[in-house]
Amino acid sequence: MSDETKKSCCSSETAEPTATRSAAPMWIIVVTLGLLFTGGLFLDSHGGWFNKNVYAPYQSAEQLEAFQPKSGAAAAMARGKAVYESVCGICHNTDGTGKPSQAPALAGSEWVTAKGFSRLAHIPLAGVAGAIQVGGKAWNMNMAAMGAALPDADVAAVLTYIRSSWGNKAEAVTADDVKKVRAEIGKSPQPYSGAQLQAMPE
Amino acid sequence: MKTGFSVFLVACVALGASWLGLVYGPLKQLGGAKETTVLQSGEKWPMQRTGEATLGLQVYRANGCAACHTEQIRQTGAANVLTVTETGSHKAADLKDFVASLLGTVPELMNFSNAITGKLAGWNGELPKVIYSGADDTVVSMLGDKFKAVGVKTEARVVATGADIARMGWGTRQSVAADYLYDSPVQLGGLRAGPDLANIGVRAPDINWQLQHLYAPRSLVKNSTMPAFRYLFVVQKKVGGKDSAAALVLPKEFAPANGFEVVPTDEARQLAAYLVSLKNNAPLYEAPFTPITAAK
Repeated sequence: MSDETKKSCCSSETAEPTATRSAAPMWIIVVTLGLLFTGGLFLDSHGGWFNKNVYAPYQSAEQLEAFQPKSGAAAAMARGKAVYESVCGICHNTDGTGKPSQAPALAGSEWVTAKGFSRLAHIPLAGVAGAIQVGGKAWNMNMAAMGAALPDADVAAVLTYIRSSWGNKAEAVTADDVKKVRAEIGKSPQPYSGAQLQAMPE
Repeated sequence: MKTGFSVFLVACVALGASWLGLVYGPLKQLGGAKETTVLQSGEKWPMQRTGEATLGLQVYRANGCAACHTEQIRQTGAANVLTVTETGSHKAADLKDFVASLLGTVPELMNFSNAITGKLAGWNGELPKVIYSGADDTVVSMLGDKFKAVGVKTEARVVATGADIARMGWGTRQSVAADYLYDSPVQLGGLRAGPDLANIGVRAPDINWQLQHLYAPRSLVKNSTMPAFRYLFVVQKKVGGKDSAAALVLPKEFAPANGFEVVPTDEARQLAAYLVSLKNNAPLYEAPFTPITAAK
């Protein structure tokens, strides 16, 4: 090293170097902000807003909703048929004609095709005991609360199915309707008699 | 070091931010996961495993099955599909004209004109015929209603797409967090030297098939590279010259010497029960599709 360089330097060789503050280059700040902005835009359009139901390739809750199977009525009828045939059809017959000395017919029954669903919904949820008039015939049988253990959606599906099959034409029953009736009956259902059911609003 | 304290603070912030994003965020999002219900059926999902199958998960883990098998179905997309199933009294050419007039007059359908006419080009009336396959659900319901009005039967379906799903039997939708609710630890796997097993209980639901496959993979899958897990079985002398009830029925070249039989150990039966319990066939809200049985 020459003497000149030694002089031009302000400190001696033994001095400790110290860090000083200096501004970050402008381009780094601009690029970082640009990246943050595009990242934010991408997250907004693809992230589903951290909804736990939204997995890739779905990008938002709305998009996921658009892919939910829509054939609700048809699916409910198919489900209703399946439940009917495994639970109700054993006694009421798979074509709804009933079986002598076991269970009355559901096809054309005034209980099934009533305008409201309320009386009908009480029957599978709580059961029936004693005398009841069905289609002009007197029955005196016991029916257990066959629907008490089924989910609301299944009871609704099976009620919808019997109300719109075998020539019956009555409005569909929803799971919420069944929920209301279930709440009305309470936790420990007692079977109703025909007279009690008749006294209820339709 | 004058800046020691600020370096410490920045390090805390950096580590804290990663912890928030990688640990706390996911915990908040999925940590409280509960049983969910299967779409349109009300059944619970996932199904609780039998005790034997729960033990089988530990056998699966102990034998390192996850080193060669994954348990995760991936999905790259989804589609609303409208299929014509019955044309009634109409001919293919009539229906093409009908669709063309709809596309020209109904404003909501105009945007999809190319997609739909592309599907109909060269159609000579073979059924079932896919009319539309894409992201939009209003097109499907609208076209379906229009067809219904003229006596043509259609079927609207939601399908999951992707290479894993295209392989028959691998799965019908992507795996989601709910599928692993009862797995501890979760056996996701990271390498597919063998096929994915997320849906093996639907592909091969027979316990005896699983047992034979564990004992002698190549007796069932000719070119299988899976090692035979013979130590999960006992080769023992037949009692009274007869097979016991639990003995495997093996083809001659894989069967033990005369007078001997192959009987699965508890571990083998637990592992087979676990494999049979692996299913990926229920539509969930977060992974929707239209099951084939519901569309009757």
